[in-house]
Amino acid sequence: MGRSRGDLIVFVGKRLLTLLPVLLGVVTITFIFTHLAVPNPCNVWSGPRATQSTIQQCIVNNDLDKPIFNQYASYLGKLVVGEWGASPRGVPVLPSILAAFPQTLELVLAALVLMVVIGIPLGVIAASNSGRWLDHIVRTFYLSGWATPTYLAAAVLSIAVGPLLGLPRNGAFTSTVPPFPQPFHMSVLDALVALNFSGVVDAIAHLILPASALAFVNMGIATRMTRGSMLEVLPMDYVKTARMKGISDFFVLYKHALRNSLISTVTVIGTTMGGILSTLVVIEEIFLWPGLGSYAYEAITKYNFNGTIGAVIFFAIGVVVANLIADFVYGVLDPRVEWR
Amino acid sequence: MPEPLLVVEDLSIDYEVGAGTFHAVKEVSFRIDPGRVVGIVGETGCGKSTLAHAIPRLLPEPPARIPSGKILFRGMDILKVPKWKLPLVRGTGISMIFQEPINSLNPAFRVFDQLAEAVRIRRLRETGKSPGLAPAMEGFDYSKRKVPKPGDVLAKPVLPSVPEGRKLAPAVDRQALRGDALEYLRLVRINDPETILGLYPHELSGGMRQRIMIAMALSERPSLLIADEPTSALDITIQAQVLTLMKELIEEIRTSILFISHDLGVIAEMADDVGVMYAGHLVEFGPVAEVYTQPRHPYTKALLRANPRQYKGDGPLPSLPGSVPNLSRLPPGCTFHPRCALARPECREPPGPRLEPVSGSPGHRTACYFSEEVATLP
Repeated sequence: MGRSRGDLIVFVGKRLLTLLPVLLGVVTITFIFTHLAVPNPCNVWSGPRATQSTIQQCIVNNDLDKPIFNQYASYLGKLVVGEWGASPRGVPVLPSILAAFPQTLELVLAALVLMVVIGIPLGVIAASNSGRWLDHIVRTFYLSGWATPTYLAAAVLSIAVGPLLGLPRNGAFTSTVPPFPQPFHMSVLDALVALNFSGVVDAIAHLILPASALAFVNMGIATRMTRGSMLEVLPMDYVKTARMKGISDFFVLYKHALRNSLISTVTVIGTTMGGILSTLVVIEEIFLWPGLGSYAYEAITKYNFNGTIGAVIFFAIGVVVANLIADFVYGVLDPRVEWR
Repeated sequence: MPEPLLVVEDLSIDYEVGAGTFHAVKEVSFRIDPGRVVGIVGETGCGKSTLAHAIPRLLPEPPARIPSGKILFRGMDILKVPKWKLPLVRGTGISMIFQEPINSLNPAFRVFDQLAEAVRIRRLRETGKSPGLAPAMEGFDYSKRKVPKPGDVLAKPVLPSVPEGRKLAPAVDRQALRGDALEYLRLVRINDPETILGLYPHELSGGMRQRIMIAMALSERPSLLIADEPTSALDITIQAQVLTLMKELIEEIRTSILFISHDLGVIAEMADDVGVMYAGHLVEFGPVAEVYTQPRHPYTKALLRANPRQYKGDGPLPSLPGSVPNLSRLPPGCTFHPRCALARPECREPPGPRLEPVSGSPGHRTACYFSEEVATLP
């Protein structure tokens, strides 16, 4: 094992292969839970005024009269070939998810940018002033983010901060802005591609509140990790070496020390992806963001089994790929790491 | 008498920690003349490393505190330089080599990047493109001094010859940096420097890394090089190689060096002058030959007597009774009196002896009331 391009490809390939058992696991668990928790969803699916025969028809149509193992096997068979089924109302699952997932990706990336651009420098500031008032202020900030329930942070941003700053609180874009095609289902990217600059501004304005909420409650971990590893790195001799070269304090901190501290921060950010996705559901609901979180919430509340499992699959892929990217960045940052 | 490069005057350094105030360095005074190699020797915890780190203001403050004293480097008091200007003194002014080569190179950057950074800073300062010690620090006008100027060591280094054309080239381009980096790697006797430049520190041995550290420190052409136990962490054969290298470089470069070590033999080999430290105090200072053959402080005498090389096989090694005092509760008067064979009642009275010149040997100073009697000790 080494650090050549071939090694990297083997590494990525192996990691992607581990995705298969993970997916099988989450599909199985979600399938069992949905079907055991709601043994007869046809009562709901058929509506309040359904007759006994329509309900019976529904049960037969959906194979609900067969043993659960048979249901599972036939569902899995269809899943593998790309037939992800439809919602009870007949909306196909896969296209809906493929439209919702990029929106979520956009939101998560925006939050990540905020976490990196604000959270990491805050950690550096805290570490280089450790024990002094600046450190305490930073700690107060990230701990309050950490301790705030997601719904509270999102509600405060939506109710108080949004109107104060005149920022849009709902959705991913304003419908009054001249419409543009949505090939990517990511408002900012779509508007950019369409060269619709008022659309770009509008889409970014819509991103600010939900992304800040997502970043605020998840930033603590990045700041704290950066501060901790900076405190470990700063007394190292190579930081003294850098200082003794005559480099200014800024470059000593942000080039020599931070580069080494980032190694652990990146790993932690990768592993918090799961947490980010779980807070995402709440935040997308509050800001009416048309993403995967809203979709999953709606699917669960409407007994949309196919939609629930589909959303879970995408969440699982998101977590695994995020960790893979984190490991890759880790290897890029630390030349001692070998791809294995 | 040449203008001294570094004058340390009554320097005291305390560490304020939860358990109390530790007087790591107490009223230390010495000077380094241009081109001299000054060794500081003492046992673990005597404050020699703290002293070395305090000169370029590398100690974290707090917990360290410098309550009194002066560090005059090329005439300016480093203790009065504002913190943000300290980088301008470091590098081209004072450079440093550390004890553990394992930790002293940044693991995330290639050797070239780290070396080029130092070369680049020096080049920018030489050409006046960025502020730095040599031309731009206030409070010291070199032009008005009589020769020899302390700055001569910096201005006329006997470093490997740089082709005239490149020296004048204003642009600090990558190729020039590479050339300089290669030159300094060759200076520290590294074979195949081209390959080494592309490697990361973890791909190199300890001895290699220390050579690169030395190359990096020298590539800034510092007026003062501080070597803080540069060989202690290396194993014995590599230690010998690095010492030989440094000795050869001292001959070639004649930059001033402050050499910290706990090894009397290493100091004897490297230094022109030696200072002996005990419990934060500089107890004796003078030319190496003088101090080693005619020690004028009982501690120095005891230290030299304990050198195992002189005792081969006959009886137990000589040792000094008692132990080093706790730095937060130093004994009053002379700190060495509880362990001293010559101690008299006046040794216990504060403020204790100060470094006084020894009559009859210029440059030799000792902090003992009874320095005449030291020779009578076993």
